[in-house]
Amino acid sequence: MASGYILNRGILTFGIHYQHVCRNVLLTQTREKKRWMKAYTLLMERKLKIEGPPPPKPRSQKPNWDYHAEVQAFSSRLDETFSLDLLKTAFVNPCYIESEQDRRRSLGVDSDTVALVLGDNIQLHTQGKEFTGNFLSDWYRASFPSLPSEAVAAVVGHLTSDAVVCHVARNLAIEELTMSAEFPVPDKVLSSTFLAVVGALVQSSGPKRAGLFLRDFLVTQMIGKDLFEIWSVMNPMGLLVKELSKRNIALPEPRLTRSSGAATVLPLYFVGLYSDRKLLAEAPGETVLSAEEEAARVALRKLYGYTENRRPCDFSVVQQPPAHQSMSSG
Amino acid sequence: MTSRGTPSRFLQSVLQNGVGRYVCQLKRISLVFSKKGPSSLGVREFIEEGVVDYAKNNPGTVVYVSPQPCRVPKLVAEYLNGNVKEEALTSKTSQQIAELITKLTNQSGLDIIRIRKPFHTDSPSIQGQWHPFTNRPRSIEPIGPQKPPAS
Repeated sequence: MASGYILNRGILTFGIHYQHVCRNVLLTQTREKKRWMKAYTLLMERKLKIEGPPPPKPRSQKPNWDYHAEVQAFSSRLDETFSLDLLKTAFVNPCYIESEQDRRRSLGVDSDTVALVLGDNIQLHTQGKEFTGNFLSDWYRASFPSLPSEAVAAVVGHLTSDAVVCHVARNLAIEELTMSAEFPVPDKVLSSTFLAVVGALVQSSGPKRAGLFLRDFLVTQMIGKDLFEIWSVMNPMGLLVKELSKRNIALPEPRLTRSSGAATVLPLYFVGLYSDRKLLAEAPGETVLSAEEEAARVALRKLYGYTENRRPCDFSVVQQPPAHQSMSSG
Repeated sequence: MTSRGTPSRFLQSVLQNGVGRYVCQLKRISLVFSKKGPSSLGVREFIEEGVVDYAKNNPGTVVYVSPQPCRVPKLVAEYLNGNVKEEALTSKTSQQIAELITKLTNQSGLDIIRIRKPFHTDSPSIQGQWHPFTNRPRSIEPIGPQKPPAS
């Protein structure tokens, strides 16, 4: 045992000595605690701290990406029958074509022998944009007949704004299918791609299906939102007076109905609006003026049929084809 | 550790999914396995038996099968909201893998953390929120605004 130990020690010393001599070229492999690892990790950490995290990579440059299969899955996931050529065209933005041509030129590819056959989505985008605006305003006019046209325009403007459309597009995985010059895809390009997809849907399965698509994905974004969050009215009392005189109802008379804690830091006033001795609306506020303004807003909501406790919109009128089974194999 | 310190969220869905139509939130699934390794035996069996059926039943999910030398076979699931989930499939049988894939297909891809309440609504009250004046008659006498005491 002792001899074995000595032998072991001898080999070990020899190994260390050997390593010491050939320092620059590591010829031996020792299965010890890797003492260089700590320095290496620290160096990498410092590098990460100085340079920041690496820039995000588009999904198409990562492993496992088949564009055709992805586009096909996109169309069947949404339960729509897209014409695949149109859908692929809808994803190609003009900025991508430009950058691709520049890249080919810089690589020295002859543009005559290898032509870039790609159509851009400008035409689909214009069609989709027009259809979206028309459909949304029609839908709102049909669902809320007493809503004035300015409110409809404000709501449609909110729904077709870049923020809402990009939120929808990102959650439908349109971002990674989009062909764009820059990555991450800019909001403007992404929203125009979404509208182009709507245009492609109009062309491939008709305006009815496209309308259902917009209803299911864009209009649902209005759930839980208040009308006056989106439509900013500076003078609700003036608007209420105008609306009431249009409908031949007596003009509103504000009355202080309840008040509490006026001498405290948290005063509370309730103002009721009476028209012809009947209560139109009542709302609280910290000052009498703010309570009156709020009461006017409540009255307007009641007039337009956009109260918080209205009957929810029915999103399931048209029968959808039956949903696919999730999994049945084993 | 009390549950208050853990991350939490409210019950929610992606893009109001299911209000209009239901969209399966799993967009891509990749099976990474080894051709020879004993730990990927179940994955190889599943690929022979079930993966084609799964892909046929779920046309909205792209299935990639990539054989590469690895010790730990894994399942990478990507969701529509951008979340990526990796599950190790070491020594799982074909049946267990099928169950796991079904589970991943039915999930929404949102983080699995404590949910504060098992229900959620955007409009908490139909009748309006309670306040100290609820169900009290309005005063018939006109009320003047109470002046704060001069001091």
